[in-house]
Parts: sequence; C-alpha cells; structure tokens
Amino acid sequence: MIQAIIVDDERYAREELEALLAQDGDIRVTACCANAIEALKEINSRHPDVVFLDIQMPQISGMELIGMLDPDAMPRIVFVTAYDEYAVKAFEDNAFDYLLKPIERPRLNKTLERLKRDCAPQPVARLAAPQLTQIPCYRHNRIRLVRAEEIEYAYSELSGVHVATADETAHTHLPLKVLEQKAGLLRCHRQYLIRPEVIHEIQLLEQGLAEIHTRSGQVVPVSRRYLKALKDRFGFR
Amino acid sequence: MELILALLQQMSVYLVIAYLFSKTPLFKPLVGVSVRFPHKLVIYLVFSGFCIMGTYFGLQLQDAIANTRAIGAVLGGLLGGPVVGFLVGLTGGLHRYSLGGFTDLACAISTTAEGLLAGLVHFHMVRKGQVERLLSPGVAFVTAFVAELMQMAIILLVAKPVGQAWALVQVIAPPMLLANAGGAALFMNMVRDQKAMYEKYSSAFSTKALQIAERITSILAQGFNERTTARIARIVYEATEVGAVAITDREKLLAFIGIGEDHHLPGTRIASAQTLRAIDSNEVIFLDGIEEPYQCSLSQDCKLGSTLVIPLQGDNEVIGTIKLYEPKKKLFRNINRTLGNGIASLLSSQILSSRYEQQKNLLVQAELKLVQAQINPHFLFNALNTISAIIRRRPEQARDLLLHLSHFFRKNLKRTGDVSTLAEELDHVRSYLKIEMARFEDRLAVDVDIDENLYNLRLPTFTLQPIIENAIKHGISTLFENGRVCVSARTTDAGVELCVEDNAGNYRPDANGDGLGMGIVDKRIKNLYGERFGVSMECQPEAWTRVKVSLPKQGMTP
Repeated sequence: MIQAIIVDDERYAREELEALLAQDGDIRVTACCANAIEALKEINSRHPDVVFLDIQMPQISGMELIGMLDPDAMPRIVFVTAYDEYAVKAFEDNAFDYLLKPIERPRLNKTLERLKRDCAPQPVARLAAPQLTQIPCYRHNRIRLVRAEEIEYAYSELSGVHVATADETAHTHLPLKVLEQKAGLLRCHRQYLIRPEVIHEIQLLEQGLAEIHTRSGQVVPVSRRYLKALKDRFGFR
Repeated sequence: MELILALLQQMSVYLVIAYLFSKTPLFKPLVGVSVRFPHKLVIYLVFSGFCIMGTYFGLQLQDAIANTRAIGAVLGGLLGGPVVGFLVGLTGGLHRYSLGGFTDLACAISTTAEGLLAGLVHFHMVRKGQVERLLSPGVAFVTAFVAELMQMAIILLVAKPVGQAWALVQVIAPPMLLANAGGAALFMNMVRDQKAMYEKYSSAFSTKALQIAERITSILAQGFNERTTARIARIVYEATEVGAVAITDREKLLAFIGIGEDHHLPGTRIASAQTLRAIDSNEVIFLDGIEEPYQCSLSQDCKLGSTLVIPLQGDNEVIGTIKLYEPKKKLFRNINRTLGNGIASLLSSQILSSRYEQQKNLLVQAELKLVQAQINPHFLFNALNTISAIIRRRPEQARDLLLHLSHFFRKNLKRTGDVSTLAEELDHVRSYLKIEMARFEDRLAVDVDIDENLYNLRLPTFTLQPIIENAIKHGISTLFENGRVCVSARTTDAGVELCVEDNAGNYRPDANGDGLGMGIVDKRIKNLYGERFGVSMECQPEAWTRVKVSLPKQGMTP
C-alpha cells in the first residue's frame, strides 16, 4: 500500500484528487493539507511515500516547501499545477512527475503505475531555492513566519527543533540540517546552530569547551568538536 | 540759377547710381540701423565711395568744386554713428584735399565735420530711443542742410584769401545747400523704401510658410499615403505657385499636381534619374533649367524645364521625395527653392512623429491583447478544476459556474470597443468573481459598494477586471483565511475615483509580471483623458493594498 499526502490550498482541488486516488486500491491518502505549514508537519510525522504537491499556495509555495524538507527523508513528490509554463518546463527537463489541473484520469494512471514500480524519491530539491527566506514556526499554537535573517540561533531538544530570535523562541518542523544548509546558520554544537553575524564574543572554558555570547545577550554552548571549525571561521589558530 | 540746375542735374545722376546700387545685395546691410562691426565696415566703405563720387560729380568753378560730397558723409554718419561718420568724412575730405585748389583744406575739414555731425545726430537719436527716425528723409534733409551751412562757415574761416572765399560762398551756397539736403533726403528715402520692401518680402514669406505648415500638419496626422499626399501637394502647389508639385515614396509617385498631370500618374514607378539619385544619396538636387536643363523622362513634349528634388527623411533612411517643377518658359524662383527645403524638413519631422504616434498606439493595443491572453490560462484551468470537483457532488452548482465561465469568456471576446460603461465593467467582473469565490470558498469575500448613479460612467474597457484579478492573484491567494476585496467608487473634485482594496497588503512594486496589467490600464487612461488621471497604488504591508483609479467627470455623459 502506498501512503500519500495531498497538499493544495483549494478544498475542491484536494477533494477532486482524493476522489480520483480513491479509485485506485493501492493508494491510501493519509492526510490532506491546505498549506505548506500543515504539510511540513504531516510529512515529518507520517513519512508518506508520495506527496501530491500544489505549487501555488499562500505564504510558502510548493517549491519552498521542498527546500524545507529533510533531504535524507525526502518522499517522492508529484507536482500538481493548473498552469505554470516555467515550472512545467523544469519538471520535463528533469523528468519529474507532474500533473496538470484539471487532472485527466489516464494521465494520473500513468503516474500511479510509475509510482508502483518505483517509489524512490527523485532529486527534486534542486528545484527549490538554495536559501530559505522565511521559516514557518509555531508559538502558543499560532503559526508564525520568522524571517530567516532574524534567527540568532537554533537548537534541538526532545520536544523538537526551536529557533530563537533576539526576543523570542518558537518551535519549527524544519530539521537542524535544513536550517544549517539553507538559513545561513553555523553548527557550533551537535544540538545548536548559531548565526555568525550575531556573535558578540566567544568565551573559552575548560576542557576545550566554549560559550558564545550573542549581541542580544543570549548564551549558546559550543562543543569541543565544533570549536575548532568556529575558530577557523574567524581566522584564529 | 543756372548753377542750381546744373548741380541738381549732377545730383540726379548721382542718385540714379545710388538707386541702382540699392537693388544689389550689397545694399542689404545698410537698411538696418545696426551696431555690429561688419555692418559698420560695409557702411563705411559704401558711403566713403559715395562721398568721393560726390566730389567727382561736382562742377569746377572759381578754382573750387561745387559738389554733392556731403550726401555720403551725412548718410554714413546717420546710419553708422559718430565713428563711421567721422571716418567717412575724413576719407572723402582727404580725397578732396588731394585734388588741390584754394579751398582744399577747408573742404577736407568741413567734410570730416559733416560726417561727425551726422554721426552725433545718430548717437543722439539712439540715446533717445528714436532709431526709426534715423531713416526719416526729413531728418536727413535738415542734417545735410545744417552740415552745408557749417561747411560754408568753415570755408569762410579757413580758405585764403578771404575775399575770394566770400565770392565763392555767395555763388555756391544756394545750389549746394539745396542739392545736398535734397539729395540726402531722397537717398534716405530710397534706403527706407528698400527696407520696407525687405520686410514685406520676409513677412510674406513667413506667413506663407506658416500657413503651409499649419495645413500640412493636420493632413499628415492621417498618415503618409496617396490620399494625404495629394492634398499636401495641392497646398504646396497653390502656395508656391510653381508649375507642378510631386510627392513620391521610395518606389512610386504618390501625388502629382500641375503642368504634366496627364502623363505623371500617381501610382506609377519613379522614372526620373534625379529622384532616384536624391533617394540614394540623400541629397537635394536642383536643375535650374539654364545651366542644367531638366527633361521629363516620361514625355518629350512635357513642358517642365526645371526641378528641385528634396529627399524626405524617415528614421534612418530616405522615405520619399518632394519635387517642385517650373515650366521651360519660367525661371525657378529662389524663394521657392528656400520654401521647398523648409516644406521638406517639415514633412520629414511630421512623418516621423505620426509614425511614432502610430507605433505607440499599436504597442498599447498589443500589450492589451497580451494581458487578455495572459490572464486566461491560470484562471481558466483553476476554474475548470474547481468545476470538475464540484460536479461530483453538486451538478447544479457546477452547471451554474460553467455558465458564468462561458459568460466571462464571451464578454472577453466581444469587448473590442475602447470604452465601456461602469455597469458593463461590473457585469464582466461579476462573472469572474463568481468563479473565484467558488474556488477560494470562505477565503474570499467581495464587497461591491458603488452608487447606481455612477453606472453610466465611461471608462476604458478592461479597467476594473485586471485590478480585481491582481488583488486576488497577488493578494487574497497569499492569505490562509479571511480574504476580502472591496470595490467602491466616489466622486471627487477632479472626477470619479474607483477604489479596489484587499486585506493582504502584499503589493510589491518590483514584483515581476504583475506590473504589466496595471501599467497598461494606467497608460490607456492617461492616453484617453490626460496625465492627471490614471492608476495609483498604496500599500500597508500585511494590512491592505489599495488601488485607486481616477477618471474624469466628463466621462459620465452617456
């Protein structure tokens, strides 16, 4: 059984695709999401085999969503669009799956057959922008889009990944790995990332450890393993 | 008495020479009272010549010369000022001195003094701002009369022996006073007449040129073709009174009016070698009919004998020619040559600007078509997808939406006119909104608050729809929930203001793609109603975007 998630901001579009997929006994739709933030959460928790992804969505587009997914746990993506010449050209150039709305039954069947043969993800990440500009976060049960350059540091703990700006912290579904690669943050600890621009001072401690003091007065730990890389970065030997 | 007549006779010959001279181009600088150096030099040379001539035209008597030398000195002074007057007098005086006689020194001094006196009159008049009076024959008469009295006095004072001088003065005073004063007045009259003639000539020329320009401009606005060029050729033909006028493009004759109409037929290919040469080399070709005769290449019997061919300039190339002809029995007038050149450059610039206008309009039309074509795919496929989903559950609603969709597209295709009413615009928008509201469901609400009195307001077709589409595409679709678009209208001092507001606040002036539709709406309004009207935008990020369309009140007449 192939597990699928549908991501589209229009209810009728989700319903239509769900109805079409329901006719195939080998596919099970486990979630329908109305935006990229819901989708990020569902994809991270349900680990679907395939995601049917609309490109044009509010705040965070389908392409941006791809950039936020953990590259090591990437599901197979089937893009869905009504009309987007440039995107369609990119899909064709890269031989990626895509469907055009309104979705035609025979075309969908072809896609599903291919999925049943091979569910391995395609390298769709190359379509996504190399840098993220906004990071979807939760704070007090509300969705917030935090601008990437406002993040001072990020850390992971048992409850998940958190990002901290100068005056607040929020929970996010993005893995540290993605933030490190795409949000301009630097690894300083197995569980911590720091934005180099906000470092005020690095206080060296015993046993090769250190602490970073940010300009806004926050303290971030530095582990032995990453201290050297950090020193190299600022030209200390 | 005999002497008076004799001297007047001499003066007449002198004036005939002056008259003939006044008809030459050399005379032209003299008619203006000028302060510039080259003019003054000409005045000095000319009147020194007349001054010396006056001595030669004099009558020998009693070892002296009764003469009209003073005319040159006085006119030189009056027209040229104190310095020129002095120099003219000095030149004439030195020449007289070289001829000898017992009054040689007295005459040299007095002639110089006469020139200076007239120059002082000039200086005085200019200071008083009465430049025009310098050309008055009366002033010349009085100046010359006084100058001659002064000369007589100087002869009495300087010439020796005094007895002989007194006897001389008694004889020559009356004829010289009369001849010089009268001659100066007549000479000045000639100068004035000549000046009046030049002025009349140039004002007639300017009037003619302006009239042609005005009439041609309005015709050329309708394009450069056989019909318009025929009318232009007619105007040029009537204004210049040449034998014939022709206008060609690069290949063929467009219009021909005048002598030879029977065989110079519009629409035929250019046959004349001169015309082809003018087009190829982009230069004016003139065959005056005397040194270089013109022979019509179409007919041996053609009466035309001289021609002026002037190329018409387009963007980077010659786009045609205008040709003026005169028949063999008539000379090609210089004024027509000048006028022809002027008309050609006027035509060239007119053709350029009307072409530019045309291209500008085409561009706006093309851009509009592009926008119409552009809005459709996104909207169409999303609409079809929505409808195909709804069909499963509520076939009736789906049918309804299909009808709205077909209504919207039919209107899109039908609306070819430039201007429509606000009611028509709202009708068009309503179908569009019905579909978008079905697609976005509760994420989109629309308020239309427009007074029925404004339904007859006239505005360019496709003004409202692109703006509302932008509000949805770039505004509402970026919101997770509770999108709202308000369409309203109000009358202002300047006219009527339409306002489309969304609550997304997502407008970015540099966002690529969305500027095009708005830009065209703005351009069309400005084209139709002027720069004061058009589209403006305000945006409060993450709160609202407001697009305002200002239109004139007079657009409301049904």
